[in-house]
Amino acid sequence: MTEMPMESKVDSKITKKLCEIVGEKNATDYKHIRYAYSYDLSFVKPKLPDYIVMPTSVEQVQAIMKFANQEKISVTPFTAGTNIGGLCIPENGGILLDMKRMNNIIRIDEESHYAIIEPGVSHAKFASALAKYNLRFSWPVGPPSASTSSCAISHGIGGLSGRYGLNSEEITSMEVVLPTGELVRVGSCAIQEDAWHSCLPLPRMDGLFTGWLGTTGVITKIGLRVHPTPPILKVFTASTETIGQMASYLRTLGNYEICDDLTGVSWWLSQVPIPYPYKPKPEGVPEWISFATTFSWTQKEKEAREEIWKMVVDEETKKGSSLKETVYPEEALKARTQLPSQIVGSTKNYTKQGGAGISWPGTFTPVNKWEPVYEEWKKILIGRNLSPSVRVTNYRGVHYGMLRAMIPFPKKDPASIENARQAIVECLKVDLDNGGIPYKPPVDFGLEINKRAHPGYVELMKRVKNMLDPNDIMNTGKLAL
Amino acid sequence: MKWDIPSLEELEDAVWKCTACGNCKTTYDFGPPPTFGEICPAGVEFGFDGNMASKGKIAFARGILDGQLEWTEEFVNDIYRCTICGGCQNQCELDHKPVIPEIMEAIRRKAVEDGVGPMPTQKVIAQSLRSYDNPYQGPRRVRTDWTRPFKKAKNPIKNIMKENAPILFYVGCTGAFNLPVRNFPVATASIFQKLGIDFGILGENEICCGSTAMRLGDVDEFKRVAETNMKTFKDLHDNHGVETIVTSCAGCFRAMKKDYSLSDEYEDYMGGLKIIHTTNFLFNYFKQGKIKFTKEVPWKVTYHDPCHTGRHLIDYKIDEDGSQQWKGSYLGKNEDNCLYDIPREILKAIPGIEFVEMERIRSNSYCCGGGGGVMTGYGEWAVKNAGLRVQEAMDTGAQKMVSICPFCHFNLNEGSKRLQSDMKVYDLVELIDLAL
Ligand SMILES: Cc1cc2nc3c(=O)[nH]c(=O)nc-3n(C[C@H](O)[C@H](O)[C@H](O)COP(=O)(O)OP(=O)(O)OC[C@H]3O[C@@H](n4cnc5c(N)ncnc54)[C@H](O)[C@@H]3O)c2cc1C
Ligand code: SF4
Ligand code: SF4
Repeated sequence: MTEMPMESKVDSKITKKLCEIVGEKNATDYKHIRYAYSYDLSFVKPKLPDYIVMPTSVEQVQAIMKFANQEKISVTPFTAGTNIGGLCIPENGGILLDMKRMNNIIRIDEESHYAIIEPGVSHAKFASALAKYNLRFSWPVGPPSASTSSCAISHGIGGLSGRYGLNSEEITSMEVVLPTGELVRVGSCAIQEDAWHSCLPLPRMDGLFTGWLGTTGVITKIGLRVHPTPPILKVFTASTETIGQMASYLRTLGNYEICDDLTGVSWWLSQVPIPYPYKPKPEGVPEWISFATTFSWTQKEKEAREEIWKMVVDEETKKGSSLKETVYPEEALKARTQLPSQIVGSTKNYTKQGGAGISWPGTFTPVNKWEPVYEEWKKILIGRNLSPSVRVTNYRGVHYGMLRAMIPFPKKDPASIENARQAIVECLKVDLDNGGIPYKPPVDFGLEINKRAHPGYVELMKRVKNMLDPNDIMNTGKLAL
Repeated sequence: MKWDIPSLEELEDAVWKCTACGNCKTTYDFGPPPTFGEICPAGVEFGFDGNMASKGKIAFARGILDGQLEWTEEFVNDIYRCTICGGCQNQCELDHKPVIPEIMEAIRRKAVEDGVGPMPTQKVIAQSLRSYDNPYQGPRRVRTDWTRPFKKAKNPIKNIMKENAPILFYVGCTGAFNLPVRNFPVATASIFQKLGIDFGILGENEICCGSTAMRLGDVDEFKRVAETNMKTFKDLHDNHGVETIVTSCAGCFRAMKKDYSLSDEYEDYMGGLKIIHTTNFLFNYFKQGKIKFTKEVPWKVTYHDPCHTGRHLIDYKIDEDGSQQWKGSYLGKNEDNCLYDIPREILKAIPGIEFVEMERIRSNSYCCGGGGGVMTGYGEWAVKNAGLRVQEAMDTGAQKMVSICPFCHFNLNEGSKRLQSDMKVYDLVELIDLAL
């Protein structure tokens, strides 16, 4: 069993005040309700919030923040808690701000291709609404019930990131309640109330709220770019014997910027589910397998894309690569190309055998570092009887390289959780030392990042945080400063 | 009789399989085109993650097993604020999926065992079961009130204890005692007579199937009525020529098929008997061309899949010996037993019927809100939730809703009244009877 959540001190006067703000039905301090928010999928230790509050309006969010700031109560924003990093587990108890009831799709602008949504809008809801206009977003391979806005502000990534970059790069405007309760706007909607089309050419103040892990403000509305869906999908699937050859292939293909998603996975990650504990790869099976999605409007366009892909294959073969066109396991391929996916979102592909726990060293690591880092990760993970179930992906052509190991483990057994935690943190250190940066980092990762950071960076972060959140109430402790 | 009804402790391994991914909170299908819908009535109404879907209920189970959660009045309240509809279960893909409703009911059993459950309003049901053998506090003699028109028309219905028949029509307490749905047994018996079927009823000797007791966690009461029923059924089989038990109530059907099979003597008592839902039973006649619709029913209708005749009848394939994946691995599901296509096929065959579908159907049907003891424990919420389903039906442009469960029927009609809507809910047998 996992370690117990720490007991908390509930003050009924605070509950009463919160009930006054959001109504009796939307605030509680009942322990059984709080308990359900005390843990997530990851190795992060459970901790109990003291109050759960579900606001239904911007005014309520402001009132909660004003009150929390005045009383110096921690506030942890939450939409579905599926971030795989313990980011919604309240380090210091306090208020867990569950935003799921603010779930309106305010506008889909089918001409300018952006939408305005509230934080509680799930990928599932957004996807089905956008489909009516033949529009799409860069859906992650996570649960469809999770929040699109939280994915975007956490620098999330999805099925179109190969082409458009991170989901945070799709943000066009934001409305935010500051930790002190004031309402602010960034992007075009700050200048004209109804204009939500772009953060540029204004100063990029959206950066004050993206990648900050819910520590600088509560997003109440977000504008996001959406994209048309061409009708013809072609998936290129190929395998290589080594990560080096896979990296070379993805880089070469990435150079042509024809793919929406460009991903390689190790044999262990292509299995449904990931083997737990580690099991050796069968002899003669390639270690790396890749899928690359490309969409076309016409058959001719598709053929042109296929021609480019063949050129890439020739180019790689000339280099002596073992690259071969291959069949990607059907279930795994479906899970990665039909997004959002209820099957993969259920975590089946990842942890069905492991048993309820998943964590990752999820990083942005330049393509030329994939090989050395992967080889080290393999040693660390296999040494701890864990599968090296690793994914590499290029984003925005070849601009970013993502390197991630999805590690399942049984949640029932504390020793196995700790084994996975140590393995993952070790992997992370290797990656950081090679110039990689983790995304959605749990506190354990934050500590390692900050240890290596330029002193000026840490100081600047502290200043910004202090400016926005003078009483350090928002998602306290998550930045590991 | 020995019963294999698992305790929460026995389900602990399954509880620890839940990742808390929250996939169970909504239903979503890639399509194309993609469709999305709320699936958890409790989540829609109460909102907190603890109230929502199996994610929340498993958190409760985990907290109890962890020693972190002790009973409080509010906690007990929240374990009963769930219709045990299984909508959440249908979204999960992990190894505990097949036992998700069992985990929910095991929590309730624990509450009853610890003397804190069920809720006061539900205790009335338990008491009624003990005193009257039905959850409606109805005197025995009222059970046969619905048969009066048949007597009057000189077509009396056989009392199976007195006159043998191969078919027992097990009416169920809701059809017998709940006035607004009394047309149920009437229509069923009327169809049977029109088709010349030789059947009988238990009349005043019928007792509750025990479904309500089981759903509330009252195992002792469930066992009492289940054992009595199984003995009666065996006697009917051995001494009164009964081969088939037909029931119009989805709850009774599920109880006899699934819950009774947890007894180690199920085969001894029920082995020789076929248990069949009226819809399925009539479908066999329909397939053989014995049901000939002669009248038009000129309605635009939609169909509501009850949980009990739908996803509760899914068979889950589990790797029992570890030969395919590992021991206990959930391998897949088989929906062959679910009554999805049959009612639709019959409906579409009725002359004049224009059939339209709602968005959430079949295994992703949205529960009416009445199951799991909610209608009695939390009447207002049950009706409010039914209103949401009725609204969905109205959005299709349908004039009437059709279903095959007296619980859904009653609750949806109440939901419609709450909305001050013209929408009326009919049972499929009522439509068949009208068209014959
Ligand atoms: C199996 C699996 C696969 C996944 N794959 C991917 C993937 O491919 N790509 C990807 O990007 N993610 C992935 N995820 C992570 C996650 O599912 C998504 O990023 C998801 O969209 C996050 O939404 P959430 O509602 O769970 O956010 P939460 O976990 O609730 O919140 C995320 C962060 O945002 C903060 N936050 C929440 N709401 C607000 C608000 N209104 N204002 C300010 N801060 C807020 C929280 O405090 C937290 O720090 C995966 C998860 C799982 C379980
Ligand atoms: S019950 Fe299944 S779908 Fe729901 S949270 Fe648990 S693992 Fe996820
Ligand atoms: S069984 Fe139905 S009401 Fe209960 S948690 Fe699951 S979806 Fe909600």
